[in-house]
Amino acid sequence: MSVMTEPSIADVLAVTEEVWTSFLGGDDPLMPGPVFAGPVAWSSSVSISGDWEGAVSLELSAVAAEAVAHRMLGVDVAVEEDLADAVGEMVNMIGGNVKGLVDGVSALSLPLVAAGRVARPSDAVEVCRADLIWLGEPVRISVHMFRPVRP
Amino acid sequence: MHALIIDDSRAMRSILRRILVDLGFETAEAADGQEALDHLEGGLHPDLCLIDWNMPVMDGYTFVGRVRANPEWRNITLMMVTTESEHGQIVRALAAGAHEYVIKPFTPDAIADKLEMLGVTANVVPA
Repeated sequence: MSVMTEPSIADVLAVTEEVWTSFLGGDDPLMPGPVFAGPVAWSSSVSISGDWEGAVSLELSAVAAEAVAHRMLGVDVAVEEDLADAVGEMVNMIGGNVKGLVDGVSALSLPLVAAGRVARPSDAVEVCRADLIWLGEPVRISVHMFRPVRP
Repeated sequence: MHALIIDDSRAMRSILRRILVDLGFETAEAADGQEALDHLEGGLHPDLCLIDWNMPVMDGYTFVGRVRANPEWRNITLMMVTTESEHGQIVRALAAGAHEYVIKPFTPDAIADKLEMLGVTANVVPA
């Protein structure tokens, strides 16, 4: 069975804001921002596989990624390992909750994290995307659906 | 009261550690189910395990089954702390022997409330 239900941007934003507020504090909310034009310093992605196939990705500037690691780990200076861990856990939580928005039975992968952009399969089609600002820094959350290549 | 935090994310372990220490627990940590089992087989006997579901090496569901299969560990309270919000996954975890679950994201109060409900509370003297 293949379920074609796509998560809405409103639902994805609600999930993202809840994760952000719960673990990074409510004093600095995520706000709508301009299109993320600068270099992506860190990104992370989790895949959802099963009745719905796709991925949830998070992209951050260097300053935003460092702030995420600082707040989650409670460290003054975040090393690369801290950044990868924190950015990966954020997308894991967002992706796990997005998985709950789609119909059917599916499984969540472990997070992939990259300094730069995480690669996506060539059949990935963007379902929704939000460009946001946090602490004056760009943050992007996006959902892609994987479409099988048909002969 | 002793708690074992099992999660592959250091960030999540750090967050849970701070919450549990504030609640008066002493904590130990493991990065996956196998490392947690190694702790238990090495003599660690926590009152509580907080367990992520999705981990490399050994996932939380398998860990719960392994703990429940050993009568020496029957008194350990097992609570899943997971992004898995699907009803079927929750039912599966509870059927395997987990006592309770918390879905990420959570608040410190949500963890405290669940532990109080389970009767797993450390004695904290209010400041």
